[in-house]
Amino acid sequence: MKAARTVRGPVFRPGDKVAKHRTRQQALRRFKSNIPLLIMFVPVILFYVIFRYAPIGGLVLAFKDYNFYDGVLNSPWVGFQHFQTLFQDSRTLEIIRNTVGLSLLSVVFGFPIPIILAIMLNEVRNMGFKRTIQTIVYMPHFLSWVIIAMMVTTVFSMEHGIVNNLVEKIYGEPFAFMYSKGSWIAIFVGSGIWKDMGFNAIIFLAALTTIDPSLYEAAGMDGASKLRQIWHVTIPGIRPTIILLLILSMGRVMEVGFDQVYMLQNSNVNQIADVISTYIYRTGLQGAQFSLTTAMGLFESLVAFLLIFSANYIARKFNEGLW
Amino acid sequence: MKDTRGEQVFYTLNYIVLSLIALSCILPLLNVTALSLSGANAVMAGRVGLWPVDFSLFSFESLFKGTPIVRSFWNSVEITLIGTALSMAVTIMAAYPLSRKQFYSRRFFTMAMVFTMIFNGGLIPTYLVVQKLGLVNSYGALWLPGLVSTYNMLIMRSSFENLPKEVDEAARIDGCSELGLLFRIVLPLSKPMLATLALFYGVGYWNSFMSVMIYINDTVKFNMTVLVQNMIKSTSLVQDFSDPTMVSNLTPEGVRSAAVIVMIVPILAVYPFLQKYFVKGVMLGSIKG
Repeated sequence: MKAARTVRGPVFRPGDKVAKHRTRQQALRRFKSNIPLLIMFVPVILFYVIFRYAPIGGLVLAFKDYNFYDGVLNSPWVGFQHFQTLFQDSRTLEIIRNTVGLSLLSVVFGFPIPIILAIMLNEVRNMGFKRTIQTIVYMPHFLSWVIIAMMVTTVFSMEHGIVNNLVEKIYGEPFAFMYSKGSWIAIFVGSGIWKDMGFNAIIFLAALTTIDPSLYEAAGMDGASKLRQIWHVTIPGIRPTIILLLILSMGRVMEVGFDQVYMLQNSNVNQIADVISTYIYRTGLQGAQFSLTTAMGLFESLVAFLLIFSANYIARKFNEGLW
Repeated sequence: MKDTRGEQVFYTLNYIVLSLIALSCILPLLNVTALSLSGANAVMAGRVGLWPVDFSLFSFESLFKGTPIVRSFWNSVEITLIGTALSMAVTIMAAYPLSRKQFYSRRFFTMAMVFTMIFNGGLIPTYLVVQKLGLVNSYGALWLPGLVSTYNMLIMRSSFENLPKEVDEAARIDGCSELGLLFRIVLPLSKPMLATLALFYGVGYWNSFMSVMIYINDTVKFNMTVLVQNMIKSTSLVQDFSDPTMVSNLTPEGVRSAAVIVMIVPILAVYPFLQKYFVKGVMLGSIKG
């Protein structure tokens, strides 16, 4: 210890001339090492300004009547006219309802499944088996919706899908799974869960590794059954993670993935399967109604923003907030 | 300690249910593979289950001869390789300065970036920006608007911050420059995390659909996702087929399945090698949010 001290050199006191010199030198060194970092950072700033903040500025379109000749800046202001149009049209109200409905169903049914899967995987003692199952259930996450939608339609197809072969044997005639509203919703929610349950389980598996094994032993000694151990030890152990992820998924309630809806949609179920993102694509981009659909987009972003904030506010009451 | 009866039941049920879940992930893939390798009559009759019936490579033959799948395959490769390289480079350029303690206003920049995760301009304003920049119908429209995923950037930043401080100090004393530190120390030490994020970006570009559909008008530039989707939606599956006997032997399911196989194979080829890395990456992301 003593040797280390002598190496460190003289001790500086406040007001010391040498000390001042030293801090200035430090500031200079800091500045010098900042130069390459700042140069490196310039493209990043440009990216965020152009592709993230400029579109946020572009949201003024929602209050304007966009036309191609005047551009974003010079088009005339119209106030809340587009919002009035949106909220008086039963079709757009239906679309908002579909968006919220489909994603709420996905959260309600989809949220617990990765937790259950993680707990089940955690209880497997044969490591080879565990690893094999994990490799398989993570995989669908990496496949595009085109592939999954194709598989789904093949499996549930009217003519020779595997499911309908069975249905036909039992009831005598096939059922139009993709074209009836109830079964379409079930397939939509189910395919979303199926695709991502394994991948979403990773986070819970990580949280499960932090639980102290002696808690299980103690519970076992006290005669707690496996299910009781899971209820009283495992779930409380991963509670913070559960709440954190619940907040994040609440924030995403306004967001149903475009790809999934677009590829599973068909004209028979449009009444319940048209959501904000597909509406904006069809009416906005294909129909060139830029201002109206920007208003819809702004509404979507604002609600999502409010949802994340209020979810976080609630979570803070449990001391689990994001910020 | 021996398992009680209740535990035995629990473990057995656990194994059975997990096996069923895994099967549900494999069986559709097997079904599609079998469809793509079966004869037209067997496919039409619905006799194909998990194993090819009347084995034939006809679906693949007509896919390669009658559709621009080869071209769109290379388009997908181009979009993925260049896009991933660009995204990784710029994500490093964002994450590294933000991970350095001496970097000016790192808190401000981090906050400004995280804000864009919870509030964004949406599709139409973004489209107008891309259009103004003249990127429509070029792959720049696919690469630039999604260049950095803030989430991936945060994972990378916290991974850089968690590297041992001693290595950093030692390199400093040896006179290592700021960039030398990045290239010789930080990046080589972060290989697993870099592999994870490259996989995430790569899969994103490989599967990109909406952006291609929005920004690319020229069918020659379509990637596989859009091509296959168009094949599924349209009734005339295979274009410019001169030989009528070939057309009569075609089944839409067979050709679609073959196309799906062509799309999946590259992902399945890299997936097992990167699997052990991405689990870590996701866990790292979960800890720091």
